[in-house]
Amino acid sequence: MRIGIACPYTWDVPGGVQAHVRDLADTLIALGHDVSVLSPVDDPDRDDLPAYVVPAGRAVPVPYNGSVARLVFGPLSLARTRRWLREGAFDVLHVHEPTVPSVSMLACFAASGPIVATFHTATARSRALQVFGTALQPALEKVIGRIAVSPAARRVVVEHLGGDAVLIPNGVDVARFDGAEPLPGRDDRPTVVFLGRIDEQRKGLAVLLEALPELVSLVPDVRLLVAGPGDADDVREAVPASLRDRVELLGLVSEQDKPRVFASGDVYCAPNTHGESFGIVLVEAMATGTPVVASDLEAFRRVLEDGRAGVLVPVRDPGALAAGLGALLQDPERRARLAEAGRRAVRTYDWSTVTRQVVEVYETVAVAAPVAVDATLEAALPVGDEDDDDAGRLVTTLRRWMADRARR
Amino acid sequence: MRTLLWTAGIAFLVGFYLSWTAGRLDRLHARVDAAWAALDAQLVRRAAAARAVAAHLDDASAGHALEEAATAALEARHDRRELLENDLSRALKASLPMLVQDAAGEAALAELETASTRVGLARSFHNAAVKDTRALRFRRIPRALRLAGRREMPQFFEIDDTAV
Repeated sequence: MRIGIACPYTWDVPGGVQAHVRDLADTLIALGHDVSVLSPVDDPDRDDLPAYVVPAGRAVPVPYNGSVARLVFGPLSLARTRRWLREGAFDVLHVHEPTVPSVSMLACFAASGPIVATFHTATARSRALQVFGTALQPALEKVIGRIAVSPAARRVVVEHLGGDAVLIPNGVDVARFDGAEPLPGRDDRPTVVFLGRIDEQRKGLAVLLEALPELVSLVPDVRLLVAGPGDADDVREAVPASLRDRVELLGLVSEQDKPRVFASGDVYCAPNTHGESFGIVLVEAMATGTPVVASDLEAFRRVLEDGRAGVLVPVRDPGALAAGLGALLQDPERRARLAEAGRRAVRTYDWSTVTRQVVEVYETVAVAAPVAVDATLEAALPVGDEDDDDAGRLVTTLRRWMADRARR
Repeated sequence: MRTLLWTAGIAFLVGFYLSWTAGRLDRLHARVDAAWAALDAQLVRRAAAARAVAAHLDDASAGHALEEAATAALEARHDRRELLENDLSRALKASLPMLVQDAAGEAALAELETASTRVGLARSFHNAAVKDTRALRFRRIPRALRLAGRREMPQFFEIDDTAV
């Protein structure tokens, strides 16, 4: 199958959507499909750019939805998108986050035929949808198959766009985590691992630090391993001086070292307070074989199968967290049992399983004619290949097209 | 002069809205058509898989009944399609326990499972497209001005596809 994937965020910057697109593309290629990914790329000459990525132009940083998104939008990107669609001759077009004003939206706008869209965000409001809601609808209405990565994301789709979406979870490369070696310099003291931004309040490190004194009274030689970017001094200040030597801060760890961090712990702790749509970190810890103690949030409850594949504790409750961690650290047999249940539970999230489901969606929608450049757009704005770099001429043509449309 | 400008402005806006809405309806109907083509293809695939399953039942009369249900679904006229596909779902539900457990039976069942999952997906996509289209067509202005032209109102396709 020839598959065109549109990724809205800059390939150069790490992020959840980019990682999802990369892993999906890799797995699809391994399954023997032809894949091309259109994405904003800041540096098209970088060596580690996969061969299947087609740069859609440099991204412009735009404050969006409370953070800075790096987006591409404009006549040049539109021309590149059209050219990509024309040359790709895809059986199916798969856009990610089409509500973000970037490549995915442009591809929706410029294409016709079997289009599949994956919705990632669980944020109830999209700035773009609020402001341009009605104007964006025509592009979004072309999407035949909608996929949501979590029940929360699916709810957003239902509430804001109407209609339903098929639930296909995020994937994890289970094999990369299973059997990871612990980090060097480990002893046999019981260890709790935390991974996430240490200064992001909703990740809940503060709750875990507050639980530490009580945890120490339950498990005297316990150690806390904290991995993630942020200000280390803030963490030290939050811990009583007598307990400071028990907290080890690793800072930002690379993707490669992540499995080893999980493997270094006897328990993985996710004390998040709110705002999690999926809980991929939990899946990664479980894939490593590290039992999980997590806040009882809807997303985590789902991943931990209502507590059968991990321990759920009340949200924002340091006492309960300490009790939950303490009980599990003192019970090696239960840890082994949960590790086993976790390994079994994460099979659903392995990329091979997830990709098979995505391909099923492709094959379901791709029975009609293949993806083509939208006929209305093609008729109103004829461009040849040589126009690709002539942004100026495109602006003129686009203006003429808009004026022409307005007259009709 | 001012009145004229205002009138022209309003006429322009109204015209723009109407042409834009008509365009939207066009695209939505195209999506319904594409989604129906997909659903149709998957239903045909399911009926074909059901015939293969019918050949591997250990009860000849049940096999015959399933074969007949599958044929009826394949040959159904559009207005009876929903009914006959649902009958096929029911016939499948009744006959699966009688499937012969050999390699050929397993293969037929696997194909039926794949086809059934796709029917479920295609049906959900089709009904989402129908829902979007109907929502716009039932709005006051598109309805009053018949912006959808003579196109038939798209209908939901409701069958029990949980059989397998």
